[in-house]
Amino acid sequence: MRYDVIVVGGGPAGSVTARFAAESGAKVIVLERRQEIGSPVLCGEGVSRKIDDWDMLKGKRWIASRMDGARIYSPDKTCVTLSADMAGNETGYVVYRDIFDQELAHRAISKGVKFMMNAQAISLLKDKGKIKGVKVKQFDEEFEIESDVVVGADGVESKVGQWAGIDTRLDPKDLETCAQYTLSNIECKDAYCDFYLGREIAPGGYVWVFPKGKDVANVGVGILASLSESGMAKRLLDKFIADNPRLNKGEPIRFLAGAVPVSNPVETVRDNLLLVGDAARHVDPITGGGLTHCLEGGKLAGETVGGAIEQQDFSKELLSKYENGWKETFGKKIKRNYLVKEILLDMDDKTFNMLADSLKDYKFDELSTYSLIKALVLKHPTLLMKLRPLLKVSKKLRR
Amino acid sequence: MGKPKAKVDRVKCLGCGGCISVCPQDALSWHGYRALVNEEKCISCAICIRTCPVGAISGEVK
Repeated sequence: MRYDVIVVGGGPAGSVTARFAAESGAKVIVLERRQEIGSPVLCGEGVSRKIDDWDMLKGKRWIASRMDGARIYSPDKTCVTLSADMAGNETGYVVYRDIFDQELAHRAISKGVKFMMNAQAISLLKDKGKIKGVKVKQFDEEFEIESDVVVGADGVESKVGQWAGIDTRLDPKDLETCAQYTLSNIECKDAYCDFYLGREIAPGGYVWVFPKGKDVANVGVGILASLSESGMAKRLLDKFIADNPRLNKGEPIRFLAGAVPVSNPVETVRDNLLLVGDAARHVDPITGGGLTHCLEGGKLAGETVGGAIEQQDFSKELLSKYENGWKETFGKKIKRNYLVKEILLDMDDKTFNMLADSLKDYKFDELSTYSLIKALVLKHPTLLMKLRPLLKVSKKLRR
Repeated sequence: MGKPKAKVDRVKCLGCGGCISVCPQDALSWHGYRALVNEEKCISCAICIRTCPVGAISGEVK
């Protein structure tokens, strides 16, 4: 079997990469380890409204509900409200990720992409060090598929990068370990995503409540693996729900575990190989959101691969067009937010309460890290020392 | 007696892949929809045990 491009993983990043590569004329196959695209869901299912501009999804079936904004609760329950225009990435839609992923796969298939299910990549085929395909296991069979380009879209647990010599292992301080219920029979009186902060509730992370309808919501927790103990995410989530009068009458209709990389991005290109999505660590280290990056990055990757096929040049140099592209589009933001993550981790609950108290009545004209810091520093000049490195990066980004 | 090696309870594991991504020795991988430990590679660091959100990994002394 031979293709121009093998994409390992049929999530959003994989399907979008495959679609755009096929649109530029490449012969593409997607290998999916699981038995159904998008299922089981491993996601909080929130995505920014930014995706409206990209026209990558047809219809509305993938939308569970449209959000009007977000509320952030500090440890002492002081609430900071962000309306949709300002909350940016933190609000938009709550989606059905299984349908969302399947829509993206449909779009890829309509452009001629082949999909293979229950197909696990087990190693890279190499000839004198040069990558030339993937060894696949499907049920009891093992076989080889050759290609000019391999795309690693194999998620947080990515092996493709490791096989190509890219160190994708995550430090525990760079992984959020998560648990989530979809709760039915709870009251969602408005379309706001709620975030709860605090050492006791979610060390190094947060609890979220994302409404999917009037009486159903995703309620989850993410905690930093470096601050976690065995089974802690589920225990904290159960406690949060039991203690919360709005949630404790709810009944679960789904439970899931998840893992979200919150690191700096890794190198994403080698000769004949690219990494996209969670495998590339294209996740906002503060929010843990990655869907928009999968779509933006997948398009860049697919177009770059298409160009490579056209020119029959699969060198790292040529494929670097993708790496330069994502660095420009969202890489700088990820790097800056990684820095913010480190600063936030240093803060105790008292500081969070103080910050929330300063911001609760603040009318943001825009929600950028820069304007947030400006507002805070005006009230608390001593914060300046701590935030100085961040201010420098944010200023640079604004230019 | 050797050091305890990580062992995944295949009934509890929900297949999130977190343990695979943090293993410093690349000792964990998919086996079907669940994580599986390669005992030869496991160095008993317990990072995967602490990471698991549902407590599906424990140390087992052989």
